[in-house]
Parts: sequence; structure tokens; C-alpha cells
Amino acid sequence: MVFSSLTFLYLFLPLSLVFHYSTRNDFFRNLALTIFSLIFYAWAEPMWIFLMIFTAFFDYSTALFIEKNRRKIGAKAGLIFSIIVNISLLIAYKYGGFIYDNISLLVQLPFERPKNSLPVGISFYTFMVISYVVDVYRGDTKAQRNPLNFLMFISLFQHLVAGPIVRYSQIAEQVNHREINWSKVSEGVSRFCFGLFKKVVIANVAGVLVEKYLVTNLYDLSSYEGWFGITLFSIQLYFDFSGYSDMAIGLAKLFGFDFDENFRHPYAAISVADFYRRWHISLGRFFRDYVYIPLGGNRKYQDRNILIVWFLTGFWHGANWNFALWGTYFGVLMVLEKHLKPVLDVTPRILKHSYTLVLIVFSRAIFYFVDFEQLNYFVWNLFSSKHAISDGFLTDITTHTYWFVLVILLCIPWDEIFTEESRFRQKLAFSYSFVQPMMNVAMLLLATILLVNSTFNPFLYTRF
Amino acid sequence: MMKIINSVLFFLVIFGVPAAYFILPKQKISVDEKRKLAVIPKFDYKSYINGKWADSVDAFVDDHFPMRDQVIRYATAVQTYKGFELAHAEKIVVVKKKHNDREQHAEVLDTGSLQYLNNFEEDYSGSMLIIDGCVYPMGGGSPAASKYFSKMVSEYAKELKGETRVFTAVAPLSSAFIPVEKYKKYNTQNKKTLLAIRDNLTDGAIFSDVFNELNLHSDQKLFFGTDHHWKPIGAYYGYVAFCKAAGFDAVPLENMEKRVKYNFLGTMYQHTQDPSVKAHPDTMEYWVPKVATTAERFREAGFDHPRKTKVFYKSSSGGNTYSTFLGGDEPLIHINTTIKNGKKAVVIKNSMGNAFAVFLVSHYEDIWVVDLRYSKHNLLDLVRKNKIDDMIFAVGMNAAMGRGAVNMMRNLGKQSGVYVPKPKVVQQPSDTTNTVKKTPTDSIP
Repeated sequence: MVFSSLTFLYLFLPLSLVFHYSTRNDFFRNLALTIFSLIFYAWAEPMWIFLMIFTAFFDYSTALFIEKNRRKIGAKAGLIFSIIVNISLLIAYKYGGFIYDNISLLVQLPFERPKNSLPVGISFYTFMVISYVVDVYRGDTKAQRNPLNFLMFISLFQHLVAGPIVRYSQIAEQVNHREINWSKVSEGVSRFCFGLFKKVVIANVAGVLVEKYLVTNLYDLSSYEGWFGITLFSIQLYFDFSGYSDMAIGLAKLFGFDFDENFRHPYAAISVADFYRRWHISLGRFFRDYVYIPLGGNRKYQDRNILIVWFLTGFWHGANWNFALWGTYFGVLMVLEKHLKPVLDVTPRILKHSYTLVLIVFSRAIFYFVDFEQLNYFVWNLFSSKHAISDGFLTDITTHTYWFVLVILLCIPWDEIFTEESRFRQKLAFSYSFVQPMMNVAMLLLATILLVNSTFNPFLYTRF
Repeated sequence: MMKIINSVLFFLVIFGVPAAYFILPKQKISVDEKRKLAVIPKFDYKSYINGKWADSVDAFVDDHFPMRDQVIRYATAVQTYKGFELAHAEKIVVVKKKHNDREQHAEVLDTGSLQYLNNFEEDYSGSMLIIDGCVYPMGGGSPAASKYFSKMVSEYAKELKGETRVFTAVAPLSSAFIPVEKYKKYNTQNKKTLLAIRDNLTDGAIFSDVFNELNLHSDQKLFFGTDHHWKPIGAYYGYVAFCKAAGFDAVPLENMEKRVKYNFLGTMYQHTQDPSVKAHPDTMEYWVPKVATTAERFREAGFDHPRKTKVFYKSSSGGNTYSTFLGGDEPLIHINTTIKNGKKAVVIKNSMGNAFAVFLVSHYEDIWVVDLRYSKHNLLDLVRKNKIDDMIFAVGMNAAMGRGAVNMMRNLGKQSGVYVPKPKVVQQPSDTTNTVKKTPTDSIP
């Protein structure tokens, strides 16, 4: 199930809210939320629910063991065992086919290629349990005593299938007890409606054009159309994923949780490093805290550490070499930026912003095409002299003009331009608070009517 | 206070919509989409595990959204606010196949008193060109692919040599007649494809040069702009081409009764949902030969319990305007005319052939119309038992290009003539594909 479906909006969400709000008892609230989360997860692929439940109970037990054996060899052994089991499951279910294919190129394997599909959300919840176990080992958080509460934390439908990667320490208290008030609910409603709007009105519209330019007409594209198509994919990816994160954060608030931000206007970045401080923040923090710093961070072998982290970040996104290439591309750019810092420091902001955007948009091609033949064709075409635009290109631009304006407006970091101290912002916020309820309803209804009979509504990040 | 209002309004919407579902009258069919809406899926373990039950629930919720047709119209209107259109702008839209799950869980409207379903062929998905509110497929067939059709027709010609003449009357795609110079390439492509059919026919199979006849009248609008069928005038020129091949004198249009129907928004509109197409509904002028006819239709197999039908349905209107001809697609129709010349014909057709077949009543005493997708009657038995003089393959080009459709036409001569009813699985979504009348193996024009 996805948030932007009619089943979720008008069946699952009302029912789950009724059950959650109908009691103030923490146990029953958590029980209801766990059951609804399991239903949510099992909606499309029920068979994988047992893997998720196994992971939850395995790491629940391991964390208790680690805590019990703190400062003993058993704690370290428990940590290593937990990481090995979790990573092994991730490799087996996500990378099994990929590894098989690559080994098969060298030697003939005596068994068939694994046929299992990718369990939804495995990349997200695996990182969540790893961060939990590591945090318990480090003593940054206490192990959860109640297995139901821990299962609820892992399976929370708000973050389960496409993040953000929520750390247990971040919501540990709310797992046991949550305060819900009108202010929080209202905040959650506004955030959810805005996320839904971003997903349905921006990402889905971009997605239809992306299919047209990067799939249907791929081999007939001019270089202009190629750039147009890949720019549209950049728009789709951002609004799809950040829209999902907004909805997740909003839904979390409706149920009393506070998730950290996952995006902060990434297309306003002035360097590649800055971009990834603004994009999928929860993933960046995971790699920073659990890979980059343990490797030595910026204290030793920084270049190597950056390259390793980005290679792994690439692979986290998918079991294909293009993702590894995509990660390496950013690793190299990060290293270059680090060494060119003196030059970049004196480069005008507009130039830094421009080069960042071009590099980011270009990187989407590596991200999009899992087939290297297509990628190769597409990239050469981007820089070719094939400039004859196809029929309908101009029409696509004119018929989406207002939409493009809206996209640009939504990419601008208004909250950075007008800080909280800004009187203009304060006035605007005060005025907007009166129309906000109607705006939220308008966004919800607009998204709803576009969802009825919609044929295009995938969530890109659920496949990671 | 505003926070409470904000929250309450949101809850009103998300609880109000399900409440509206229970309060408002329920729809069982979507007239706009020409299909039955999904039914409440019955839970069973197998369909739950493979995810089909959840898909069925999604389909049901989507199909029964309160005031659904109205909401879809709003959605279409909203789409126009994304930008603006230049005058005479050319637009290319990608028509996607309906989501498989929807196809699986919603029954296609099937035989009733009037089967007005004109399946939108899946081959019509893909890139579509829209110019001045008219939709055209982007392509012109494939000469290489057409040889399979020719081979199949030739096999019938060989089998029936000396008994029955075998003709082809294949309609081109509307792309052949796009009124813009740069798209003349599609005209050439259509021509090459259809001539390749001619060049590959053997064993005395006779080619009707439908393309050439239509091309002589390319100044007229031969195809609908909002639908994938040819207009009756296009079908008439197809009939003229057939008459030339068969040695008949085609009845002039002046000698028929002219009728008109308005505001036809057909399949191309339904699938593009494009506002400019909606703004240009088709007007359908059609001609009724001055020949008295009686007709009966048969079920998928067998000849028992025939039901009365008509050659022309005056009442078909709106999205079903094209069902004026033969009442839409029936497995088998038998038309008896007052032309007492003893001549008999069988027309093997998809929906494109409906508008064509009606003109034949001026030349034959008996006409059998076989739908290549639905009939389980043995075609060779039908031809021999009824001593058919002429067998005519009157299909759209996509059927002649599709291996699946060609195999179905070939199979018409081999099948047992016995229809094995497929299980009624309305309440078992995991198997509902079986009830969909479309052949699941291929897309058939």
C-alpha cells in the first residue's frame, strides 16, 4: 500500500485513526498501530512480513543481550553477530540475484538464480535495526524491553516502506508513550496534505513525461529533449521522495511521533556536498555515523572514506552496477570539491549553484538507466549535435508552463531566504494560518480527484 | 482555534468520502469506460498471499469512489490548468494500457441484449498524435509482419479452392490520412504494409485494395478523430474496393438513406482524456442500404437459442455511437436479406469490420458475421454447411499485424465449435481474468 492511494486515504487511514484515537491506553494504542502497520506492510506482499517480524525479534533479543553484557566480550560478539545476520539477509534478498549474475559470468554455478522479489522496505528497516543495535552497544540508547513496542517501532507504517530511516533513540520515549494534541495533529495534517500534493500534482505529472521521454521515445530524442527528460526525472525523484517523506512526517505527527526532516530544499544547494546535506538526510546521517566516522572520518584517509561511503550509498539504492557507478561518481565529486575548496570558496554563488545543478541532473541519467547500453546511448546523445526536436516537444512545454513555474517556486528555499526573524515571514505566516485549513482541504481534494482512475502512481523509493 | 479547524476539516474529508460511499447510490457499470465496475472481492488465502486480493480491494475502492465519473471529468478539466495550448498545436500523448489489475478485477461488459462493447485494442496504446482534437496512432504497420496474415488467408483459400472465394478487406490506420504534410510518411507506411498483404497472398486469395480507394478520397475525413474506427464513409470506400475485387457494382451513397448522429466521443478520447479531443466530438453520418433485413445473433458456440438483433441500431449514442453497426461485437450474427440472389457470404471481422459488413446486405441473401475474438464456431463447417460463396476478412490493420489475432483467425477453421463456459468467478478476484471476454493472450484489434 502507498500513501497516495485511495485505499490508504479513505479506508486504511480513517480506520487506523479511529482505533488509535479511541483509547488513551498506551498498550492498546501500540497494539492497534502494530496491527495496522502489519496490514499495511502485508498489503501487497504478505509473504515478506515474516522476514520483517523475524528481523524485529532477532534484533530486539540481540539488543537485550548486548545491554545485559555491556562492557563484556559478549556485547561485542552480539553486535557483530547482529550486523552479520542483518547484512546477510539484506544481501541475500536484495543482492542475491545480482551476485549470482556476476559470478555466473566467471564460473558456472551449480544452482539456479534466486527468484525471490525484493522485500519492500528491507533497505530501510535493516538500517534501522542496525542503528538501534549499534546505539544500544554504544550506550546511546537503552534497549526496548517490550517486544510489542519494538515491533511497532520497526513496522510503523509511516516509515516502513520508504523511510525516512528513523533512529530508535530519536523516538524512544514516544514508542512507549505519546502525547497527542490539536497543535501536533494540525501540523501533521498540513504536512501530510502538502506531501500528497507534491507527490500527485508534481511527481506523478513529471513521471508521465519521464516515461514518454526516457522510455517510449528514448531512441528518437534530440540532445535538448534528453536534457529535458532527465531534468523531469530530477523533478520527479525529488517531489516523489520528499513528498513521501512529508507524508510520513505528517502521518507520524497524527499518531504522536516526531520524525526528523529528510529533505531541506536540495536543489538550492551550492555544492555537491551541500546537496547531500539536504537530500535524504536520514540516509546520509546513517552512513556518516555508522560507516564514515568508524572508518576514520576526516581524521585519516578521508578521501578513501568518502569513496567507500559513496560506493556503498550507491549500492544501497539498488543491486546493479549503475548504482555503484552513480555512488562512485558522487564520491569522486566530493573528493574533488574537498581539494578544490580554496577555489570554490571564492567562486560566485550563482556559478556554484549552477555547476551543482548540472552535475546533479546529469547524475540522474546514471541513476535512471540500469541498462548500460541505454545509459551509454543516452549520455552520448546528451552531448551530441542531434538538435532536431520531435513533434510535440514545444506542446509539452507550453501545456506544462504553469506547472513548471510551480515546480520552481517549490524548489526555492523560502524559509532560508526569509528566516524566522523576518517580519515579512511572520506576517505572511499569520495571514496564512487563516487560509491554511482550506488550502489543505484543497490540496487533499485535488490530489484525490487526480488519483481516481489514475494509471501512474508508483513510489520510486519503495523499490530501494 | 485554527489548528482545530484545520484538523477537523481534514477528518471531515477522510471520513466523509467513505460515508458518501454508503449514502450515495451504487454504480455497477461505468458508461464512460464501457465496463462493469469491480465487485467486492471475496477473501481467500491464495489470492491474499499472491497480492491479488489487495489489488482487488484497491480496484474496488477506485471503481466505487463516490461520484466517480464526475470526479474523473474534474480531473480531466484540472489537467488543462498545467499550462496553455498554442493554436493548432501538435501533441503527442502516451496512451498506457489500463493497469493489469484493473483489467483483471473489472469485468468487461459482456453479452447482454445489446453488446455495445467496442474493445479498445491494446495495440492502440503507445504514442498518439493529437492534432486539432483528432487522435492518430503514430505508425503505419509493418510490411514484414503482414505476411503472417496473408499466409493465414491463403491457407483458407487453398482449403476452399473451388468452393468459396476468399477476400481480404483490411482497413489502414487513421495515421494514413493525417492532414499535415510532414506525416505523409505514415501514408506511405500504411500503403506499403497493405500492399505487402497483397504480395504475399497465394492460392487465389483476392486482395481488395482498400487503401487505394480510401486514398482517392483523402480530402474527406475517413476516420473518427475521437475513436479508433473508420467513419462510415471510410468503411463505404472499403466496401467499394471490395466490390471492385468481387466484380460487383457498389451501391452509390445516393441510393441509401443517410442518417446522422452527433457528439460521439469514442475510445481515443476515453484513453487520452485529452481536453482538446473532448472539445471536438465526432459527428457520424451513416448510410442505410434500402434493403429489408432480419438478423439473429448466436452465443459463443452452437446455433441454439438465437436472439433477434438488427443490422443498424438507431438507439446507440454517446460513447457507443459506433455500436450503431450490428449492435457492436457479437460472436456470430446471421443476416438474411430480401436480395433473393442465393448468394452467401461470411465476414470474419473485428470491430473495424462492423461498419463495413452492413453495406454487404445489398449483394447477398445470407451474410454470416464472425467475430474473430469471440466465436467458437468452426468456420470451415459454417462455410461448407451453408455453401458460402464469398469469405471476407474485414479487419483493421492492427489485427492483420498481430500474431495473436492472426492465430485466432487461423484457429477459427480448426476449433471444435464447442464453447466451454469459463468459470463464473465474479467473487474470486484471483481468477477473474477468465471472465474477461478479451482473449488474454494477445491484443486484438
